[in-house]
Amino acid sequence: MEYIEKTIKKGIKVHSLKTNKFKTNLIAIFLTSELSRKTVTSNALISAVLRRGSKNMPTQEEISKELEELYGATFDCGIDKTGDNQVLKFYIESINDKFLPQKDENMLKTSIEKILDIVFNPLIKDEAFDKEYVAQEKENIKHRIEGKIDNKARYALDRCIEEMYKDKPFGLYKFGYVEDLENINEKNLYQQYKDLINECKIDIFISGDIDDNIESIILENEKVKELKEREPKYNKESEQEREKHGEITEKMDVNQGKLVIGLDVNTQSEDEKYYTLVYNNILGGSANSKIFQNVREKANLAYVASSNYFRYKNNIFINCGIEISNYQKAVDLIKIQLEDMKKGNFTDEEIENAKKSIVAIIRTIDDEQDTGITYYFGQELSNNKTSIENYIKKIEGVKRENILDVANKIDINTIYFLRD
Amino acid sequence: MQIIENLKVNEKLFLEKLENGMAVMIIPKKDMKKKYMIWGTNYGSNDNIFVVPGEEKETEVPNGVAHFLEHKMFEQENGTNSLDTLTSLGVDANAYTTNNHTAYLFECTDNFYEAMDELMDYVQNPYFTDENVEKEKGIIGQEIKMYDDYPDWRVYMNAMQAMYHNNPVKIDIAGSIESISKIDKEILYKCYNTFYNPSNMAMVICGDFEPEKLLEEIKKRLKKTKSEGTIKRISPDEPENIVKGKIEQKLDVSQPMYTVGIKVKPINNSVQEMIKRDISIQILLEILVGKSSELYKELYTQGIIYGGIGASYEFTKDYSHILISGQSSNPEEVYAKIKDRINLLKNNEINEKDVSRIKKKVYGEYVREYNDVTDISRMFLSDYFKGINSFEYLEEIVNINVEYLKQVLNDVFKEDKMVISIVKS
Repeated sequence: MEYIEKTIKKGIKVHSLKTNKFKTNLIAIFLTSELSRKTVTSNALISAVLRRGSKNMPTQEEISKELEELYGATFDCGIDKTGDNQVLKFYIESINDKFLPQKDENMLKTSIEKILDIVFNPLIKDEAFDKEYVAQEKENIKHRIEGKIDNKARYALDRCIEEMYKDKPFGLYKFGYVEDLENINEKNLYQQYKDLINECKIDIFISGDIDDNIESIILENEKVKELKEREPKYNKESEQEREKHGEITEKMDVNQGKLVIGLDVNTQSEDEKYYTLVYNNILGGSANSKIFQNVREKANLAYVASSNYFRYKNNIFINCGIEISNYQKAVDLIKIQLEDMKKGNFTDEEIENAKKSIVAIIRTIDDEQDTGITYYFGQELSNNKTSIENYIKKIEGVKRENILDVANKIDINTIYFLRD
Repeated sequence: MQIIENLKVNEKLFLEKLENGMAVMIIPKKDMKKKYMIWGTNYGSNDNIFVVPGEEKETEVPNGVAHFLEHKMFEQENGTNSLDTLTSLGVDANAYTTNNHTAYLFECTDNFYEAMDELMDYVQNPYFTDENVEKEKGIIGQEIKMYDDYPDWRVYMNAMQAMYHNNPVKIDIAGSIESISKIDKEILYKCYNTFYNPSNMAMVICGDFEPEKLLEEIKKRLKKTKSEGTIKRISPDEPENIVKGKIEQKLDVSQPMYTVGIKVKPINNSVQEMIKRDISIQILLEILVGKSSELYKELYTQGIIYGGIGASYEFTKDYSHILISGQSSNPEEVYAKIKDRINLLKNNEINEKDVSRIKKKVYGEYVREYNDVTDISRMFLSDYFKGINSFEYLEEIVNINVEYLKQVLNDVFKEDKMVISIVKS
């Protein structure tokens, strides 16, 4: 795998990941901007409206038919919160020419043109998006926002984050707010689109069996030519919120209680993030971890019992699905694990195992096309870029005292419980 | 080893049927650092009534045994747990149970042979005690309750209940808290000894390997076991008709969820027909409810659905059905319109242009399966237990024409075999 990044204009980068491991080529466009209550809903809506139709493919039906003709190229879009940024993500994946039954098309070139058309060449009339599309997508996104209760475990995590980051960017829901939809129309949404396209950070990724002139397909695209240079507005640093929120219990019609514990990791440096990764793996990141072993295997309180490290925000979230009556038992047991970590009650073997697990995941980054793109995009957003080799070295270099030090900089911010 | 090459995706399958009856499939993937190994037994939640080879009497076991067994296989006599041991090696290990098979697997970059030692050791050496069986009931109980909170799982299971009278596909893979309370170590040993015989098992490995060398390593780690007689599986008689046309459940959801089921008479005499029908149904479902279909456009622009309509066909030799699902403000209307579209398609010519376009799409989807060692391995294993070589899909698709599609449409999409399951607040 060969990774090359190139700034084509200030604030706009093309990243090529040259590899012949895959049957497919994957192209991604990421639009990164600051998360704010003012724009979160309209940005989410923009991504929904764009996929309804472009200037050259004005209906969803046409887009779908074109993609089907391209041997089922898949177009996908999503919205992510990465630290204090909102990222609109667009993907197109199509099979490599080598695996076509007839050698007649240049799939990669056509795919690139399609995705550029959808993102940068929308269907516009009189300085506005299509009125009907906007009205329909407003309705859709409303359902999407209300749909957050449908997955209870995910909902519990979202609610815990919302409470921890009350009135802060990271506490915002990535699809926005129903009450903010009211004031959005096809005109002001198009204005917001133009602002976004002019100001956001733009990253275009191409992964696959590509040749050197691939860049020219992008550079020669009329819409790309029109893009202006910019000082991209996005958050390189992520604000840390350390106000404690105690215990919160909410009721819903659930069969199983969903426990989420949000932890603050009070570290400062980049290197400490590697220590925290190892710490988290020992705490709740694997089947060998303290939480899995003690909450599930020994006390048999849960089926799901794990923890995740959100490196951009420097938080760890612990998740368990438990019998409602076992709430206190589970919380106490988890607190004991946190104390044990602070006291250094973990073995050298546990450290080595954790490192091995993390390194194994890092090593396979290049074996999955989307994971590769996600990794390099993550590096792009963080302040100091690290190669995969260097990443592995950093993990392997983590020492007991580093983990112990991190353990003592961690405390509970919020304990959230969803019950009936 | 038998070598089966497919030039369309440029991959090779190395297949060996061992003396003990077990199949080993190796798909080499040069340049991939990731390696994947999966070992499965042709034994799932549906195999609840059977005759142990050599016995005469039928054995009936509680619902959820296959899944329970999967959880307990990791426990070792020396007090260790194989999941922990594998995790310590830096490999990502797991296991799963379906209606028809149970599989044990790991993926790794390093320590492949050490992990293979452990995997092959624990799958061949069960250790069940009264105590370790009892403690698992708490964990699986929470797994069952977790699924009870997934509305998409509930709406699916209810559709099964509406379609099937007797076939165990209508029962939750994990069983119920009540049924698993009856499981003890004797039952687990009995099922293990019956179904974990190599003659009932298959293994798939995908990654950067020399197949012949790898095969030798596998053989070295296999215990000497005689191929047992055939296991007689007793599948209760299943009428062709459905149980009831509609089933509803109340759950806290933002908008109603629906699953439309179409019960289909299974094919059990020709593998080629099974594959052709599978491909044809995929094409027909795309034409009926896919992203480029008239129906999708209509429902979406009218705001009756948001997001996509999921559609799939599940089949074995014992049962087969189509499932169409999604979220809608008005599931009944979606249901009525799906029925209308089926009738419309039956009464008209199927458009050749649509078919050739959709065939391209489906072909692309098959090719894409060969990107990832995990997908490849799982696909070959589950197809193998159906008697299918996965490559065949890439070859059969050209044989599907409009006439054949029409025939499948008429044979399979029958209105009196349709049900709707709805979950709403």
